[in-house]
Amino acid sequence: MTFVYALALAVGLFVIAPYLAHRLRRRRAEEREFAAARLVDPAPPRARSRSKLEDRALFATRAVAVVGLALLGASPLVRCSRLSLARSSGASVAMAIVLDDSMSMRASLAGSSGIAKLGSLTRFERARDGARQLLASTREGDAVAVVLAGKPARVALAATAELGAARAAIDAATASDRGTDLDGAIAMARGLLSEMPQVDKRVIVLSDLADGHPDASPVGKDSDLPIWIPLPELRAPATDCGILSADRAGPRIRVRVVCSLGTPTIGREVAIFTGKAVVAHEALGTSRTEDVSLELSQDDARKTDLVPLYARLSGSDSIPADDIAPVVVEAGPGSVAVVSDPEDEATATGGAPVVEQAFSALELDVAARPLPAVPDRVEDLTPFLGVIVDDPPGFTPEERRTLGAFVEGGGAVLLALGPHAASAPLGASLEPIVPHAVTWEPTSSRGVDAKTAASLFIESAGSGADLDASRRTVFAAEDLHLLKSLLKWTDGAPLLARRTLGRGEAWIATLPFSVEASDLPLRPLFLALLDAWALDARARTSPKRTEAGVPWSFPGARSVEAEGPEGVALVSHDGPEPKIVPSVLGLYRLTIDGKKEARVVAPAEAEIDLRSRAAAESTSGKDVGDSRAAVDASPVLALGLLVLMALELALRLWARTRQAAI
Amino acid sequence: MPAATAIRSALDWGSLAPLKLRSRLVAEGVYAGAHRSARRGAGVEFGGHRAYTPGDDLRWLDRRSLLLHDRLLVRQFETETDRALRLVVDATASMGYRGSRAPGAKLAWAALAAAALARIAVGSGDPVGLTYLGGGETTRNVPVAGGREVFERILGSLEASQAGGDARTDLSVLDRGLGGIARAARRGSIVVVFSDLLDLPEGAADRIAAIASHGRVLVVAQLLDPDEVDFPFGGTVRLRSLEGGVVVETDAETTRAAYQDRLASLTSDWERAMTARGARLVRAVTNGDPVRAVREIVQAAR
Repeated sequence: MTFVYALALAVGLFVIAPYLAHRLRRRRAEEREFAAARLVDPAPPRARSRSKLEDRALFATRAVAVVGLALLGASPLVRCSRLSLARSSGASVAMAIVLDDSMSMRASLAGSSGIAKLGSLTRFERARDGARQLLASTREGDAVAVVLAGKPARVALAATAELGAARAAIDAATASDRGTDLDGAIAMARGLLSEMPQVDKRVIVLSDLADGHPDASPVGKDSDLPIWIPLPELRAPATDCGILSADRAGPRIRVRVVCSLGTPTIGREVAIFTGKAVVAHEALGTSRTEDVSLELSQDDARKTDLVPLYARLSGSDSIPADDIAPVVVEAGPGSVAVVSDPEDEATATGGAPVVEQAFSALELDVAARPLPAVPDRVEDLTPFLGVIVDDPPGFTPEERRTLGAFVEGGGAVLLALGPHAASAPLGASLEPIVPHAVTWEPTSSRGVDAKTAASLFIESAGSGADLDASRRTVFAAEDLHLLKSLLKWTDGAPLLARRTLGRGEAWIATLPFSVEASDLPLRPLFLALLDAWALDARARTSPKRTEAGVPWSFPGARSVEAEGPEGVALVSHDGPEPKIVPSVLGLYRLTIDGKKEARVVAPAEAEIDLRSRAAAESTSGKDVGDSRAAVDASPVLALGLLVLMALELALRLWARTRQAAI
Repeated sequence: MPAATAIRSALDWGSLAPLKLRSRLVAEGVYAGAHRSARRGAGVEFGGHRAYTPGDDLRWLDRRSLLLHDRLLVRQFETETDRALRLVVDATASMGYRGSRAPGAKLAWAALAAAALARIAVGSGDPVGLTYLGGGETTRNVPVAGGREVFERILGSLEASQAGGDARTDLSVLDRGLGGIARAARRGSIVVVFSDLLDLPEGAADRIAAIASHGRVLVVAQLLDPDEVDFPFGGTVRLRSLEGGVVVETDAETTRAAYQDRLASLTSDWERAMTARGARLVRAVTNGDPVRAVREIVQAAR
């Protein structure tokens, strides 16, 4: 038995002794014989009750005082698990704290069961506490940088000697549902420290190391700077299942559920609900990735047509946040408005318009809806994914306004220019897409230059090598700088170009979609053009589902408002365009220049895999830090003892006053 | 058997033993100066027969009755019965109590006083009898008789006495003890009752006082332990009576005065009852001087 054990026993006895003394004193009075007991009155109950109360209050006060005394005496021996910096040389330290704020850090520290318990700390909260403890062990002259490892890794605080700013940065960090960019964060931290004058530099990683790559190389291996990965409890095994997506097409809802390895799924089910009513539910399978299909009844489908639906995973696991997801209505087989001269189409093909035939061949689920002219009202274009205008004879003022509003609001336009566009009547122009008049000129250039193809057309550009056209549209010299080329003729003139207008984009072809003008519609390049444009149009108009942390930018938007699961989302105007970085899962309702749209933030699949990466042996921190520290609680204890002493005096005074009154 | 009786299976004599020696000392202390009036049992007027008890003077054995009825009877004379001393000792459980400051149990002290009185009476030539109220299995009454032998018998009986019985729950205890005296004691008899008077049933005072009728002299000696007088306990105490099964938990300081008032009231009630019938109540505390107490009894009996 060591001296400390003996001392601990003595302190324990010291604490228990008053209690035992009290119990002995409080024991039932010893019964004794007394012949004249019949003449003795029982004590008045009030007096007995008062005595008990007084005794208990005094006893409690004394017991607490004795415990306080014991703690005061033992405080030099008291050590608790706190992170602190080790200083082998005593010099100032530059440390970068990598605080992981990814979704996996939302897992609770509930132990091996992996089940979240109400009130238990999450990994992120423990990591943030650890960061605070580290800051508490810093001294004047130390420098601290804070890097957040949620994807994308970002600097919360550049290296500074202002410890108050470091504390504020740690306090401001909140849990998020981002993915993990651990390597990026460590590299960033290393970069922040590289220019610091301190000789002693360290990177401290407060993370569960669960970045979705459990088999990747150990974290911190071959690092030129010391890396310390404390808090092994963050890497305790945990289980989680999350909903990656929930899409609705008519009455059918498809829910994709992913579980981390070893997560029990028996007894869990996916339920679709609106408000508090469950409208469909289906048991979850046993595989790690499950696509659960649910079908609403006709009544429910009709009732919930305009009501937001949510998919919920029953049961509990380490991360409750990803057990619920909003159901997104799929864009479905959208349609494209095609404005062309029907007579030309019919004459040339003898059947369906060439664009309609192309969409049919591409199997894009995009229907071509012919329109005789560009509508005068922008509302008439709202149902369409985009508008294809084939060789228009200019636009009337109403058409210009409609197209302008449509494109600037985020719409997509594909404009093919030909002989009609070049011979626009007086008062008609191609604005706002092409500001100046174009000309329809003969060309000797044959084919396209595949080297000038944008990435979208790299594969298909070869099919235009011998493109045959006797004439082509030529832009005014003033307009060329507005256009970004996608593909050029061999003489350098643009065949395909695009121009950004507000939040939308217009793609321009210098040949019309008529087989009489060129053989472009007969070439794979034409199909590639329609395919790429349709995908771009669908991406612009359909509800978006992105992973947490992926920024949403709104080029050209004048006003952007967003409301997310945690209230109003912050819109950043730092860059050239408004930007929102959603970091929490759920449904976001956006209002962009008065136009409303809904977007959904879904978890990254890698975040649901809670398996941790290995940590290099050198990161155990024997030389760079300590997880135990002495705690000097004596001032608080001494103050508490003074208060207790005053309380006992007050109690005694009160008891004496009461006794005197009786 | 009541619990109190079981606990008090043997009387706590304390420093009052040996009874024979102590009682002689007490008696001599009381007797000093008093004149001797021995009668030797020789009477002038025949007073009837009574059953022979071993130890009786064989001179008064009635041989005729023996021959006629085949029973041993003793002739009695008026001169013998007039001054007979009947000792009544309360031997119920409460009399076995001995406090921390008493030389012995109350019953032991009563035995000492009774033995002393018996010796005085025997010394004066008066017959003496001993009756118990309650008592243990070894407790035996001693019929009224004269002569030195009776003193020995009384001593033997007292020494063998045990405290036992519950007069509060067993009303026959009082009847068995006092019934015979009320019937047999004649005019001029002296009846001395030793009791603490604490656990006697309701109406006991009147029934005992009734003995004082028909020219009989009744002296009730109330014996109390010093603790019963002072109630010296402190703090919270839990008290259990030796008779009646009363258990009381109380704060001693708070209830001391009330207790003493009730004790004084009890004594006062007894005194009133005795005085009303011409009887006397003598109070004694067991840590007091027994000589003085016996002298007071003797004086009260005159």
